[in-house]
Parts: sequence; structure tokens; C-alpha cells
Amino acid sequence: MASYEPKIVGFLCNWCTYAGADLAGTSRMQYPPNMRPIRVMCSSAVDSVYILRALLEGADGVFIGGCHPGDCHYVSGNYKARRRMVLFNSVMKSLGLDTDRVWLRWISAAEGRKFADTITEMTGHLSKKGPSAFKEKWEV
Amino acid sequence: MKGTLKVEAKSPEATIRGLFARWLKEGKLSAILSPAYSAAGTATLALFSNPQKLDEAAPLLPAMGVNAASIVAEFARDASPNAKVGLFLRPCELRAVVELIKLKQVAPDSLVLIGADCAGTYKAAGFRNVRGKDADFDNKHVREQSGYAENVNFRVACQMCEYPKPLVFDLNVGFIGMDADTELWVEAATDKGKGLVEGLELSAQDEPDKRKKALEGLSAARKATTAKRIEELDKAMMGPEKLVEYFSDCLNCHNCMKVCPVCYCRECFFDSDTFQRDIGEHVRVSLRKGATRMPSETLLFHLTRMNHMMASCVQCGICEDSCPVTIGLATLFKKVSQNAQKEFEYVSGRSLDEPLPLATFRESEFTKVGEE
Ligand code: SF4
Ligand code: SF4
Repeated sequence: MASYEPKIVGFLCNWCTYAGADLAGTSRMQYPPNMRPIRVMCSSAVDSVYILRALLEGADGVFIGGCHPGDCHYVSGNYKARRRMVLFNSVMKSLGLDTDRVWLRWISAAEGRKFADTITEMTGHLSKKGPSAFKEKWEV
Repeated sequence: MKGTLKVEAKSPEATIRGLFARWLKEGKLSAILSPAYSAAGTATLALFSNPQKLDEAAPLLPAMGVNAASIVAEFARDASPNAKVGLFLRPCELRAVVELIKLKQVAPDSLVLIGADCAGTYKAAGFRNVRGKDADFDNKHVREQSGYAENVNFRVACQMCEYPKPLVFDLNVGFIGMDADTELWVEAATDKGKGLVEGLELSAQDEPDKRKKALEGLSAARKATTAKRIEELDKAMMGPEKLVEYFSDCLNCHNCMKVCPVCYCRECFFDSDTFQRDIGEHVRVSLRKGATRMPSETLLFHLTRMNHMMASCVQCGICEDSCPVTIGLATLFKKVSQNAQKEFEYVSGRSLDEPLPLATFRESEFTKVGEE
């Protein structure tokens, strides 16, 4: 356990958060390398199945980044993503599963700093929290 | 238009059959989907069209094998100018029909929703043993008027059901809180419903207080049962360890999805190519934990399904009845769906006008989500 490094799967909206991550990179901002980014066209394209598959197969956290409310490239995708997140959290709570392993955050293309800070914060949180209970479970 | 209807020969069931015959003869309905019970002991549903063939219509049959909304979704996806079909169904079935209408899986134009009260049902499988040779079983069940809340032989979902009266209907035929040997409650809520009531001899009146009280009492008792069952469920299911154990017997057969009336996709995502892993991929996934359960992604199926349809789950419990390894799905989904719907102040099947929770949004809501 001493060598535990949280693994985070990140789904980044093409129009905002992915560009924000890019900016963080080109500006040489430092942040932990624990997140594997996946570019998606919109935060609303991240169906629960992708979040759950990552968690059940051993990811310690899932990060979803989208445009700020009102700024969605497709007008209302992030509002719908927000409702899905509410439903997702409700289901997880009803089953007694962690709700703090999945983070939805609004990060714009200009917010490289916010992106780096958020990933740092999430990595820190999951390091303290410890690995996901599903990490070692083959029988899920 | 509402009032009481006189019951013929102390048989509420025969009286309803009489209504069926009348509607079919007068051409008000071209067919009626109703519970049916055959001489051979099959408890099922049938689409009745010939008024001469109504002997085996059993509108008050207290047995349920499928949620009829699944059947409605199969034949009423589109409306037809030549058909006007009456759905004589139970509250949970009509609630599922309402969800399917909102999901655009059922076209309401050719349908008339005739809701019957439901005091609880037995499983259709094996119902002939419960009923025995008693031809008057359905009438007795309706006549009883007590013991509904305590009947532990009802389907588990029925024991927890707080909606003994349909929520959305064109016409409601009710027996709860009535002296069902002599009269039934009839209530038309729409023009379609009024069309069916026209010409019937109703003694017009408001819903009797006795009926309202009986419905409220039953509903309250059922809510208490639900709370107790969920308390027990929580001991057995909460948290990753216990959740895995709760589903440990699952065969991944997907019956629970196939029979679910509101699981509406024509092809389930889980049956799609996305989940067809080849041998190399299976090995790659296995390497991650050193071993993977086969069949794979069993829990993923359940957790995803909950996210996809808990907002519309009508808590009918047909999923549990169809599970070959008797996983306690009815209580589990009762809890998960009620909690989920509460977040959006939504009740599945309560109204045709309330938008589906995942098909709408407000800019000013849930503002904390995504911010912290
Ligand atoms: S999940 Fe089960 S209880 Fe809910 S609507 Fe589907 S079959 Fe009925
Ligand atoms: S019906 Fe039962 S065994 Fe089949 S997939 Fe559903 S829970 Fe699993």
C-alpha cells in the first residue's frame, strides 16, 4: 500500500476542459501525472457506463470536465450532464458506494491554472482516501 | 363524470365484462387488453375483440406475470386510424404506459387508458394453485376489502405498492372502499373516458369518503412495509462488499432487463458490439486484476441499468419475478428509484405533462454540482 498512486480516468470536453488542459501543458504548469485524459465531444457524452466501467475495473477516480454552465458548445449539454451527475450520485448513495471518487468540474479553455489545481486537488484527495474497493475485486 | 355503477348478480367481474361487451358492441372500442384466465388455468392477458368471447376475460384477476406496458409497447408504437384499443390495466402498468408515452415508445392516440384499482397480485406462475377450483376467486378478492396490506403471499412489489388507484387514466373502475357486491366506482377523467361512460346508468356523486379513506389507509400501510423492507435491505446490501455479495448469484441472463416495461431501448447497449470482447481483449482485461469474472461485467450491467432507467422505474417488481436466482430486485429498485426520483421531484407515471427528469433541465438548479 505504501506505493499506492491513485489512477484517475479523465473525460475532457473537447471545447473547454481539453483546451484548458492543453493550456496548462503549454504553460508548463506542474500537476500530478495520475490522470489519463480521454477527449470527448461534450461532458454530456459521458454516459454512466463509462464512469462505472472505469471504477469497476480498478480506477480510483473518474474526472469529468465540461464547459461552464451557459457556455456549452452544444447549448445545453453540460446542463444535462449535471442532471445525470445528480442521478448518478443518488444511485451511488442508495447503494452505499463512494460519491467522492467521481468529480464533475467546469473548466474553460482559458483556465489552465484551474485545471492543474483541480487535478492536484483530486489526486491529493484520492491519495488520502486510499484505493477503490473494486481494485482487487475480480468477481464484479 | 363520476359516480357509482350498480353491480349485477353480486359479481363485480361479470359487471365489468358487461361493460366490455357493451363497448365492443357499440363500436366504442375495437378491442380491449385485459387480464384473462383460461379454463386450463392460464393466468395471462388477452386482447378481446368479440363480445361473445369474453367468458375468459378476468378484469379483476389478482395475478401478474408480465407488466402489460411491455406488451403495449410492442403493439402500440404507432397509432392506427382503424383501431381504438382499451387498456384495462393495473396502476403500475398504466404508470409504465405513461412513461413509455413520454419516452415516445407508445402512441396514445389509438388507446384508451382504463385503470382498475389493484389491491395486490399473486405471481401468475402457479396462480392456478392459489386459486384452486374457485370460480369466484376474483370476486372474493375484491369483496374482502381488508387484509390487503398484510397479505404476505402477494408479489413483493405489491406488498410495498402505495398506488392502489391509477394515477393517470381516461377512466377508472374502482372497488377499494366500495361495497363491491353492490356497486363499483366509475370515474372519467378525460373526454375519451367520458365517451365510454356515456349511456351507463351511473348514480352521480363525488368519490365516497369511505373509498378515499380506504385508499389512504392502504397506501400508508404499504409505505410502512416499504420502510421496513428497505431497512432490512440496507443491512444486506450497502457498500461495495455487500453489494457484490447481493448480486453474487447473478447469471448475467438479462431477464430483468428484458421484462422491464420501462427499459425501452430496442437493442440493449449491453447486447451491442461494444461488449463483444475478443479473446485478446478478455486476456488484457484479466491481466489488470489477475482474474475477471466470467461472464464479465455483471455488476456493470446492473449499475448502468439503474442509471439509465431508475428515473422511470414504476416499482412493479416484474424484474424480481423473472430472475432465475431470486435476487431481491424489487426492494432494491424500489429504494434506488424512489431516491432518484425524489432528487427531481418526479414520480414515474404520475403525469403526462411532467417532463422526464433526464430530458429536461433548468439553468438555475443544482448549481453546486460541478462547482465543488
Ligand atoms: S426495474 Fe423492475 S420494478 Fe422497475 S419498472 Fe423495471 S421491472 Fe418494474
Ligand atoms: S434476471 Fe437475475 S440473474 Fe438474470 S441478469 Fe437479472 S439479476 Fe442477474
